[in-house]
Amino acid sequence: MPNILVIEDDDIMLKAIRNILGKDGYVVITAKDGKEAFEKLENADYEVVVTDLMMPYANGLEVVSRLRSDETKRNVGIIVISSVGNEETITEAFRLGADDYLKKPIMAGELLIRIRKLLSNKNSTSQLVTKKK
Amino acid sequence: MWKDLADLLFQAYEQYSLLPLFIEIALAFIFLAILSTLIAYGAILHKRYRAYVYEKRMAFISPKIEDMITEQVLLNPNLGYDIPLESIEFDPNALGDKIYRKPFVRQMLIDTLIQYRKNFRGEVGELLRKLYIDMGLDKDSFAKMKTLRWERKIKAVVELTQMDIPISDVTILPLTNSGIPALRAAARNAYIQLSKNEPFKFFDIATEPLLPWDQLEMFKIITTTKDIAIPNFSRWVSYSTNKSIVSFCLKLIAHYDQQSTIPAVMELLSNKDHYFRADAINCLGKLSAEVAEDKLVKIYNNQPLNCQIEILKALGRIASGKHLEFLKSEFLYSSNFDIRMNAARSIIRHNTQNSRLMVEELMEMTHEENQLIIKHCLNPLIKY
Amino acid sequence: MRAILEFFNKGVFWENLGSYYQSGVFVYGTTLLMAYASLAIMSLISIRRYMKKNASVDYNIIVESPLAPGISVIAPAYNEGVTIISNVRSLLTFNYPKFEVIIINDGSTDDTLEKLIREFDLVHVEYAFIEKLNSEPIKRIFKSTNRAYDKLIVVDKINGKSKADASNAGINISSYEYFLCTDVDCILDKDTLIKLIKPFMDEEITKIKEIGTPCPECGYVHVKEDYRKVIATGATLRMVNSCDVDEGLMIRVRPPVKFLPRFQEMEYIRAFVLGKMGWDLINAVPNVSGGLGMFDKEIAVKAGGYDSKSFGEDMDLITRMCCLMKDNKRKYSVKYVPITLCWTEGPSTLKVFGRQRSRWGRGLAQIMSIHRKVIFNPRYGRLGLIVFPYNFLFELWAPLIEFTGILFYIYLILTKQINWPFAIILLVFVYTYSVMITTLALLWDQITFKYYKTWGETIGLCLMAFIEPFVYHPLIMFFALKGYFNFVTGRKHVWGNMQRQGFGGQRRKSAVKAG
Repeated sequence: MPNILVIEDDDIMLKAIRNILGKDGYVVITAKDGKEAFEKLENADYEVVVTDLMMPYANGLEVVSRLRSDETKRNVGIIVISSVGNEETITEAFRLGADDYLKKPIMAGELLIRIRKLLSNKNSTSQLVTKKK
Repeated sequence: MWKDLADLLFQAYEQYSLLPLFIEIALAFIFLAILSTLIAYGAILHKRYRAYVYEKRMAFISPKIEDMITEQVLLNPNLGYDIPLESIEFDPNALGDKIYRKPFVRQMLIDTLIQYRKNFRGEVGELLRKLYIDMGLDKDSFAKMKTLRWERKIKAVVELTQMDIPISDVTILPLTNSGIPALRAAARNAYIQLSKNEPFKFFDIATEPLLPWDQLEMFKIITTTKDIAIPNFSRWVSYSTNKSIVSFCLKLIAHYDQQSTIPAVMELLSNKDHYFRADAINCLGKLSAEVAEDKLVKIYNNQPLNCQIEILKALGRIASGKHLEFLKSEFLYSSNFDIRMNAARSIIRHNTQNSRLMVEELMEMTHEENQLIIKHCLNPLIKY
Repeated sequence: MRAILEFFNKGVFWENLGSYYQSGVFVYGTTLLMAYASLAIMSLISIRRYMKKNASVDYNIIVESPLAPGISVIAPAYNEGVTIISNVRSLLTFNYPKFEVIIINDGSTDDTLEKLIREFDLVHVEYAFIEKLNSEPIKRIFKSTNRAYDKLIVVDKINGKSKADASNAGINISSYEYFLCTDVDCILDKDTLIKLIKPFMDEEITKIKEIGTPCPECGYVHVKEDYRKVIATGATLRMVNSCDVDEGLMIRVRPPVKFLPRFQEMEYIRAFVLGKMGWDLINAVPNVSGGLGMFDKEIAVKAGGYDSKSFGEDMDLITRMCCLMKDNKRKYSVKYVPITLCWTEGPSTLKVFGRQRSRWGRGLAQIMSIHRKVIFNPRYGRLGLIVFPYNFLFELWAPLIEFTGILFYIYLILTKQINWPFAIILLVFVYTYSVMITTLALLWDQITFKYYKTWGETIGLCLMAFIEPFVYHPLIMFFALKGYFNFVTGRKHVWGNMQRQGFGGQRRKSAVKAG
């Protein structure tokens, strides 16, 4: 099953997402701040990264931008989950290359569907992903 | 022996009463100071001890609560199959654990459920609510409403609002006019979210102002509550005497893009208060109200600076292209830096063939400082 | 506390001499002790009120909201090459939806700017702005090409020899309506912006009155709002010296191990928790510390921004902002938050510490002389009748009176005119009183948040109160007097040196000294 990295500084949410994704059979790795996230991104490959925006050490946008500027990780699917609702931030996330933006409170079912969709897109048309950049 | 002690004390008192007054006072204060210091130390230790016990308990109980919620709600096997929520039952053994009878644990349970509710809506959110009701926690919250301490009342109102539990109008309406601002705000929010028939009724009656922070909370509630009937806000824009409600309505109008309110908003352009007018102009800009453009340009010269800047911004937002020349002349001939800046930004914002040509033209004909302004506004790295 | 010896002298010679000096000092001392007692009570009320009011507040709401006001974070840096990157990274991770971080490289002679350019992919941008406040010329302005850092603006300017000058440059560049002033090496809490903007958004609106019938011109009933504009907010500072900090993030709070900074931690807690919070209750906060403060930009700019010639530019700015509001007949308030949001490096050597305190002393004297029209002037309301008189009498004069008291006392001993038992009783009195006040401050501090993890740390800090009057207090007095001396003689070379120092190695932070 595909690897998913979940970055989130709220303990409750981190555990909840891990459980929900785990239930569907994904291999879930967690990181609770920017520093840990970058370490874990170095050490393994992930198909999808689910990230929060505001957290210690680094901003979620930095995670997105780093993934997109790294040749080897360019194809990773990125979903941003955040409570930030101001449009500028959302646009910024997409411009940097996020694939999806879910505003908290989220719907668990929706998250699963979006991850599934990202994964299937990636497998069928790798072209699309490069275009998105 | 007691007699000796009494004698001694008496002697001491006699001695004491012979002392000059200021020394007596000093001695009394020494005694008081030592006593207070000791009490303070006691209180510090006590506080720390209580915090320590609390942490211990938390460390023991919160994983339990989290596991229970994970088990019963997040990983509920019935989720995701469109099963109606009413027919989903929780495991009575898990919920019936003796530990959940302690008031302390129940409060923690409520707090944790609210935490989850902030992160999840949809099916999971509804199921969390069902758990809250099934465990009878709503009764705890209602009990808290009845206390006299206002901070507990606020907590109760917030809990019930978060969990979407209806509160009767009789209970909540008096609180919306409470003298305590924090309680008033919480009650208003509860009323808007929970009152199904007329959530905006209190806009008519509110005499107290809406503080900016209250507006944040209310804005969130209005924009996130499901099945709330969004009225046409022009009603209050035209008739409310409460300034803060009118300016709040302007923000809501912009958010919901209520085009039909444009005439009502335009009425405000003749209001005396220039902060108010600036809000109205801002709103018209966000509505892209092309009909208002001519009027805005017409009144421009009689406005104070903040309104003039708002007008320039609005022209950039509406961007019909009809008033490019006006923007150009403001940019070229105004002596005010902010006006030139906003004029330039609005011209660029049009982003049409004409406007781009105009920018090029301006770049060539104007002086160095204005060129810098244009470069500033054109630079995608600079936001403002 | 300051009045210890005066009071003491008074007792000794009440009967023998009964001089004017002694009666004066007696009144002075009693008033001071009363003032401390009332501050202690007021701050307790104020802290409890804050806690109660904000217990159920969901701060996250502002993070989600599109209505959140924008905040410009202004942090000057001078030769901070070693830590600049992690500190700037940390400033970029505030929990807040709409802010910009303006780093002012104040003519550093090290590689501060180069490091920033490299790390954040900065490029020079042509930036148009208007110089509303005076500062040394700005050389270049940089923005990042990486959109993840689009909140960052780096300003490279010619060294203006003061933090005030650099901050003014930052304010000129800033584009939001509020600004936060701090130092680049301060460790700030992630929620700093939320907690400090909250009081601005809770502006007290006490009365709304409808005036008369609908106005013929606009058809509205005019409404008069009687509201108090919040013009500045601040929060408690602590010492970072022995805390665990990782890349600009506070991991664990500890009181400083070394004695000198540890005394300062105690003093800061007392000054902020007891002093500022007490004054907050009656809306008479004298100063928002230079280490951390949020301001309404419009008012600050109108008041003229920071004065680069001032030795106490933070109090100077607040005073001018308050005067401006009063002159325009507008109600205002300066609010304090009883939570520590900022950790700063306290001087750990006597030399640096002395320079810092002399500068404060000089700054206070300077402010009192510049704004002397305010003292006892009823036109300035609380500012003129409470804030300034208190600072003038009990902050400015205390070291002087204390010093003359000691001299007088020595004279008495030499001439054998002293009544030893009474003298000792009075000494013990003032001593126990000062210990009590400090201990209460530490207790109030525990109400808001449990900062220290272990019992030992807490008690270890509390015990400092017992030796403070013998060790730390005389030092403060001495350096304050030195500052006054410099003020009176106005020596030019001290001026330049001090300014540099204030900016370079060790930061100066202004806290009102409550003890």
